[in-house]
Amino acid sequence: MRLSPAARWSCTALGALVALLYLFPLYWTYVSSLKGPGELFASPPTLWPAMIDFSGYRWIFTRENIPRYLLNSLWISAAVTALTLLLAVACAWGMARLRSRWIDIALLAVMLSQVLPPALLATPMFILFRQAGLVNTQAAVVLAIVTKTLPFAIVVLRTTFIQVPGELEEAARVDGCTRLSAIWRVVLPVARTGILVTGIIVFLLAYGDFVYPLTLLDRPALQPATVGLFSFIGAEYSDWNNIMAFACVFVTPAIAVFLLMQRQIVAGLTAGALK
Amino acid sequence: MAAPAVAGGAPRRRAGLGLERAADSRGVYGGLVVVALAFLLAFVGYPLIYNLLMSFQEVTLSTMARLDRPWVGAANFEAVFADPLFWLVLRNSLAFTIACVVCQVALGFALALFFSLRFSGAAWFRGVILAGWILPLLVVGAIFKWLYATNGGLVNEALLAAGLVTRPVNWLSSPDLSLLSIILANIWYGTPFAMILLAAGLAGLPGELYEAAHLDGAGPWQRFRWVTLPLMKPTLLAVLTLCTIYTLRAFDLLFSMTGGGPAFSSTTLPLWSFVFSFQQFDFGKGAAIASLMFVVVIVAGALYVRSLRTEVRL
Repeated sequence: MRLSPAARWSCTALGALVALLYLFPLYWTYVSSLKGPGELFASPPTLWPAMIDFSGYRWIFTRENIPRYLLNSLWISAAVTALTLLLAVACAWGMARLRSRWIDIALLAVMLSQVLPPALLATPMFILFRQAGLVNTQAAVVLAIVTKTLPFAIVVLRTTFIQVPGELEEAARVDGCTRLSAIWRVVLPVARTGILVTGIIVFLLAYGDFVYPLTLLDRPALQPATVGLFSFIGAEYSDWNNIMAFACVFVTPAIAVFLLMQRQIVAGLTAGALK
Repeated sequence: MAAPAVAGGAPRRRAGLGLERAADSRGVYGGLVVVALAFLLAFVGYPLIYNLLMSFQEVTLSTMARLDRPWVGAANFEAVFADPLFWLVLRNSLAFTIACVVCQVALGFALALFFSLRFSGAAWFRGVILAGWILPLLVVGAIFKWLYATNGGLVNEALLAAGLVTRPVNWLSSPDLSLLSIILANIWYGTPFAMILLAAGLAGLPGELYEAAHLDGAGPWQRFRWVTLPLMKPTLLAVLTLCTIYTLRAFDLLFSMTGGGPAFSSTTLPLWSFVFSFQQFDFGKGAAIASLMFVVVIVAGALYVRSLRTEVRL
């Protein structure tokens, strides 16, 4: 539908207003993290800190646990991403190349496994990992989170791989590749954008995961930042400038990656949900 | 594509080695699929079955590690239904799910329609809003807990300044408001996701139909009612079921903002199951609630998959 120039500009103004209003809580997080304890509770609140105070950020890096939490988050998410991509690329390629009733059933099972609430799977998983002697290891958390990210990655990558023409694989085989090594030589290079975006979304999902590390780890030295953040907000800790600074340091890398790859991430999410 | 120069021109096949022949057989595809499926079977399927068994057993901390526990029939389920909290928790779950899903999809659809108008910056604004959805839920919980804070929280400061309330409201620590406060936070979080999926659906609608409707003299409302809405029905259905599944699963936000309190006023079924299992160590009852929820989400999941099929056929 065509809009008149005047209507177009009013729409742009309205759109900007909607985005600003929506993102205000995020803005408030950053502003609060830059206030000192006194200004934080000033009434009326200041929309921009009268005096920028980095005490919240100093607090984070003097608490020996918080840098540890952040590193744990990075490490757990990296391991989840690697394992998810390894399993999902293989599975999705197999599914894209095979067409049969069995594959349809397997895909249905994979999609249905996505709907199970992690908070409810946490109990049997906790018991099973305890029997295996894996409780209080990050390996258990990685395995548990992969159950969440793997189905998503399989669904997205399968739709990507279906678009890779079978002739490419044939050509690689003529050149001496096996069907297995053709994945490495042909499929990965051709679909690398799709795989990269899937990896980023998987990383973000793992980065925000809370239930599995909460139930499977009780040593702060092993816990990720989500559980670390919970130990402050759950305990009615009221130095909100410190907590907001922690939250900012934790999410800024995620927001930065998102802003850089917004278009591809949106496409990947849509493919995961509607294909 | 240039084939490697091999005498006779026949494609080179490194025959002989069994491993290599296996790596080149069509069975490779099946093998690749099976590895991931085996992983999911071991780490999702097995816990699922294990949970189902536990819900018919008496499980305590001391018998947790064994499988030969006393069978109690449906006693765990009966105990859950007879619990004085059951109706409260069920009511909370229904209120939370319905309010969140309806508002997320309605607001998401409204925003998707607005941003589908062709004005400068539309796609960019729409994309930037999704930043709310990529935040870890624990961070969303922390942000909203600070916004709602009785002492110094922005919501109370704004309401006081506007003269709408005379003293700060206990958004999270009053049993009448705690669930509502979390619902609002969750709507904030989930709306962009619904919006993005619905925007993708809108982008796929055939433009000629709008041209035709326009030529036939249909106004904006008629075009929406008779073109957009019928064409978007499959996508709307898919997004509706998907949001329902996500909302039924919700745990992090509720757990971090109120822990289900005060006095269970914001406890939903997943939280209640979690309390039984991890706080009261009554694993049987926790598992019974989980089994009931699994049935509900699998039904919702089946509806979702079906709605995708109809969308594809369109």
